[in-house]
Amino acid sequence: MSALTSTPASDGDHASDTSDTSDAIRRAVAVVWPPLAFGLAFVLLWEAVVKGFDLKPYFLPAPSSVLDAFFDNLDNVWSATRVSGTNAFVGLLAGAILGVALSFALMRFDVLNQLVSPLAVALNAIPIIVIVALFSSMYPSTSEIPRRLMVTIIVNFIVLVNVSKGLRQVSRTHLELLRSLAASPSDVLRKARIPNAIPYFFTSLKIAAPTAVITAFVSEYFGGRQHGLGYFIPSNFANSKTAIAWAYVVGACLLGLAFYLISILMEYITQHNRGPAPGGA
Amino acid sequence: MKSQHATANSGAPSSVANTVVVDHLSKVFNAGKPSEVRALADIELAIEPGEFISLIGPSGCGKSTLLRLIANLIEPSEGSIMVNGKSAAQARVDQDYGMAFQQAGLFDWRSVQKNIELPLELKGWDKARRADRAQEMLELVKLPEFARYMPWQLSGGMQQRVAIARALAAHPQLLLMDEPFGALDEMTREHMQAELLQICNVTETTVVFVTHSIPEAVYLSDRVVVMSPRPGRITDIIDVDLGRNRDDDTREDDRFYASITSVREALRRVDDGTTSVRPRGGVDDR
Repeated sequence: MSALTSTPASDGDHASDTSDTSDAIRRAVAVVWPPLAFGLAFVLLWEAVVKGFDLKPYFLPAPSSVLDAFFDNLDNVWSATRVSGTNAFVGLLAGAILGVALSFALMRFDVLNQLVSPLAVALNAIPIIVIVALFSSMYPSTSEIPRRLMVTIIVNFIVLVNVSKGLRQVSRTHLELLRSLAASPSDVLRKARIPNAIPYFFTSLKIAAPTAVITAFVSEYFGGRQHGLGYFIPSNFANSKTAIAWAYVVGACLLGLAFYLISILMEYITQHNRGPAPGGA
Repeated sequence: MKSQHATANSGAPSSVANTVVVDHLSKVFNAGKPSEVRALADIELAIEPGEFISLIGPSGCGKSTLLRLIANLIEPSEGSIMVNGKSAAQARVDQDYGMAFQQAGLFDWRSVQKNIELPLELKGWDKARRADRAQEMLELVKLPEFARYMPWQLSGGMQQRVAIARALAAHPQLLLMDEPFGALDEMTREHMQAELLQICNVTETTVVFVTHSIPEAVYLSDRVVVMSPRPGRITDIIDVDLGRNRDDDTREDDRFYASITSVREALRRVDDGTTSVRPRGGVDDR
């Protein structure tokens, strides 16, 4: 607001744009450094504890040996990460598309809504493992489809719930205004419901992206072809190759983080000019 | 009390002459259910072109309901409403009126200009014509340099001005306002009132304004309609004799205080239940 009142000239919005950007960078740095410093301190403490108390590597490896294992097995970690990442990504994409399509259908046909919504909730209540086992029995053991289907279902549910909410929870003032302007149902959809649902969609992606990665790991753990992170992490732990297992964990963390960052970036690109409370009014 | 003026039995000639004619109007919510509420009973009101009318009364008196009925956002249970000589429903379809609400209700994802253009988009105007009109409206509400701002970059008063610009964008003859300044601080509020009067004088717009502030109603209105609750009725219509050109000095005028006193007394009679409203048969007096 200060930029706004100090530059009432016609170019005022440019001025506030640039100062907003540099402000944002400064604020981002201020937000980022404390957890970064804390993380670094934590790793150093971990190293010191392992060295100081002479903990056995099968119990808890030092960060330095995890790092060594990570770079020694970089190719293996990378290929496993790529397998899991592809599973998560394909499922995320399919689940998001399905979720958006379903929420529009439920919004359009109320009968469908009454049929599908309880079913979706019930489906979500079934433990994930049961469905993976079911899917695995339906496809050959080398197939990636069961894992991707699993991710699709989980992501679909998250996106469906959030986007439906965004399509429905339009402010009363907006609805009354559009009615006063004699807007057709399709006008209401285009001018109010869809724009209102967009932040909800990105919020759902933000939740769904890391969940997709975790779901991919868990699905890989329960049967099927043995080449993803979800197989290598537990199998290396089981063989007491703890440092290597941790190296795969590092890969898993980086993969989850990458998914999360991408979803945040997408949200930022589409939402940054909406103000502090997107979706509200 | 001149509420009986131009009741007109919904006769055609006078309903064309008046901008709004409310005839024998009643509204019951949840009819037939245990939660049934008689929101409005037997409302008669005629509003002349160019008039500024305020609806005032305690909460639950149905003033917002009456406004929403005129806007055809809800349907009457009994009686009829004519706007510009047409049914309220037809007037809504023709965008004969603009509306402003307590919350500015701007779309967060649209710039100020795009917000103002919304009614014109729905009318199918082309881009250049919309932009011209939006600029004209921004000048009217004294925000000419804010076209490209996003709503959240504006103060509450500025947002409400944009909402008024949006309501007037299609040049409607009638402006319906539901406590538009209710969320603003007192200083901004008085400023906005003066601006609104000026805009209405320039555009010759007829206004129906819902408020629960007595000074606001008196300062703005040609007539103040006083309503009582359960069921909502019109108990008094008070003429405000302050002329058309009102400014900050008006607020210190003796006639301003005199009108405030009359409205306050009318409202007090509502509270005491000593109003002169005759009970109607079959009225559920809950």
